Amino acid sequence: MNPAKSYAHLFSPLGGEGGENYRAPGQLTFLRAQHVPLETKALKESGARFAFVGVPFDEGNVGKPGSEDGPREFRIASQEYLSYWFEFGVDLNGLAVDCGDVPMPKVNPDSARERIYRAITTVLAAGVTPIVVGGDRSISIQCARALSDYLGPKKKFGYLHFGAHLDLAESWAGERLLSTCALARITELPNLAAANVAHIGARNSMNPKDYIDLAKERNLRFYPMFEVFERGAGSVTREAVDSVWNGTDAQYLSFNFNVMDASAAPGVTATEPGGLESREMIQIADIIGAKKSVSLIDVTELAPVYDVSGTTSRLAVCTVLRLMAAMAKARGELVDPKLRRSDLEAAE
Amino acid sequence: MSKAGQQAWQHVPHHHRGPQQQTGGDEHIYSPKLHNGTFKSQGIATFMGAPYCPPDRHAIRQMGAKVCFIGVPWDQGQVVRAGTSQGAAGIREASTQYFPYMFEYDVDLLTFFNVVDCGDIPIVPGNNIKSHDYIYQYLTECLHGGAKVVLCGGDHSVPIPGARALSDFHKSGKIGYLHVDCHLDAAPDWAGNAFTNCSGPSRALDLPNCSARNMAHMGSRNGLNPKDWHDFFIDNDVRVIPMYDVVDRGVVECTKEIFQRAWDGTDGIYFSWDTDSIDASCMPGTTAPECFGLKGREIIQLARTAGTFGADIMEVSELCPQFDVSHISIKTAALMIYHFLGSRAKTLRDRGETP
Repeated sequence: MNPAKSYAHLFSPLGGEGGENYRAPGQLTFLRAQHVPLETKALKESGARFAFVGVPFDEGNVGKPGSEDGPREFRIASQEYLSYWFEFGVDLNGLAVDCGDVPMPKVNPDSARERIYRAITTVLAAGVTPIVVGGDRSISIQCARALSDYLGPKKKFGYLHFGAHLDLAESWAGERLLSTCALARITELPNLAAANVAHIGARNSMNPKDYIDLAKERNLRFYPMFEVFERGAGSVTREAVDSVWNGTDAQYLSFNFNVMDASAAPGVTATEPGGLESREMIQIADIIGAKKSVSLIDVTELAPVYDVSGTTSRLAVCTVLRLMAAMAKARGELVDPKLRRSDLEAAE
Repeated sequence: MSKAGQQAWQHVPHHHRGPQQQTGGDEHIYSPKLHNGTFKSQGIATFMGAPYCPPDRHAIRQMGAKVCFIGVPWDQGQVVRAGTSQGAAGIREASTQYFPYMFEYDVDLLTFFNVVDCGDIPIVPGNNIKSHDYIYQYLTECLHGGAKVVLCGGDHSVPIPGARALSDFHKSGKIGYLHVDCHLDAAPDWAGNAFTNCSGPSRALDLPNCSARNMAHMGSRNGLNPKDWHDFFIDNDVRVIPMYDVVDRGVVECTKEIFQRAWDGTDGIYFSWDTDSIDASCMPGTTAPECFGLKGREIIQLARTAGTFGADIMEVSELCPQFDVSHISIKTAALMIYHFLGSRAKTLRDRGETP
């Protein structure tokens, strides 16, 4: 036990001043993390590994609205969890900070996109991994552009996406930066090779023919749900992770929660039957977490207005926290297994 | 038009009229060019955006339609709770969120089958017998029009007139009957009424050309299955695959078994698929949601397997959008049909056949 360090948050509350009710936050932040302004210098000084950035933008969607409330509900759902994860024996406390939401102008998508780009660039420049919660899927275009520019022409990155739709429209109704164009734009970035792109979970008929044609033309590997049914989520994910990490300097991990079966995630803009079950997503988080780090994580299309009892937001939070926990474990950052609650009482 | 020789059937999207009309031949299977298309800007809501065709055998033949979608807003033939009269409207609404193109089968359902929407069958409130007669007449028109039928209930009394229509259509031959449902629905009668949603299989066996050896039931579970319903299957030697067996053996193998049985020596089959066969978590919008049912991917695998065999009438019943959550149920119901048709199209195309 290090006497200079506080361990009380690892245990059931001891009572007394403060910390009695973990669900009564002062400031509402991701996993009760410290709020840090969205500035490279402040982020560097915070020493955090992850920075939560909310992007309440849904002017890139073509279907149902509602994803702009995603970051808010994600933060609230994160209050339902503690920082200690027994399956991994790790403590997430202090790993992340919360930079708040990127302020979004309304009815000015061009300006909004630039703000998203700048926000993500700011976080990356601090050497911190952004955890970006949208917002509709179109925000991934700006995040990827920020990562690409941050890395520069000499470095390569990989892109792993989970979603029901391929989003490979060259353009949609004449627009090129909508959520339906996300993968089309991202795979045009100069330092992303097709061999380092993988898409898991495509199914059903919100995948028009041009999506499939473009996937073939660009040689993009996508694993439709039919393949997941046959091979299992674990096998598919391991293969996808291998290709995304193969020879790359950075990796972008992107979750559209419509990858989940509609029953497991009713609170998304476009529910899709026949998707992943929650235990499969948890398995996937563990597999990816073994890679120790990623450069950028995004979670898009959460739409709390359609959610049932907050289950979808909670699943999204759980997935991200499990990723963080699996990475911490893979890096050997374990809580001292000998530590007991009675040690705290004795120290008082 | 992508297919020659079928001048009558023409796909003119209902949504793209006016100054920004967008009606190119195959544009409906690609991302929209001019505007957001059916997404948000809806016109007349038809199933799959298909053209309307009157439910008349000559009109159907003239249009060359090979699949007729027809709704039955009838929910007074059931003993549970009302709401299924809105089922067909729910499926039409859900289909506006999908393209007719399915990449899993690389097929455009609209032009492959010349799909038409025949609207809803008129019903008579408070009169189950008359409403059933109308259902019989309208389905008879579709069948004589040379089309396969996708029938959207409505409560689960609709297979009674539905199977009767198919039986008469094949009166010189034989038919098969499949019932996928949480409930066995084999009451001789319910409080004296022989034509409720509790008696689909019982009435099918009454038909002169439907033999028990071509009948099967799959997906039964839980405690809304009185003993006489179960006895019907034992006493008449009709195959039952309860949910326990579906879980043990897998949905694909079980689906193959029942379809092989139904098609064994028959000229056509009726495939009745109750939405409550699906787990309540995936199908909250149904008359009687039940746990321990088919889950998301099993539904799609069932539809895909069923599509390799086909059916003269494929019926989706007991869909209640008013109990739905976040469009889960209506989208699932639409996809039950889409995957069935997609798989059917692929099967026919692989054999070099047309619908």
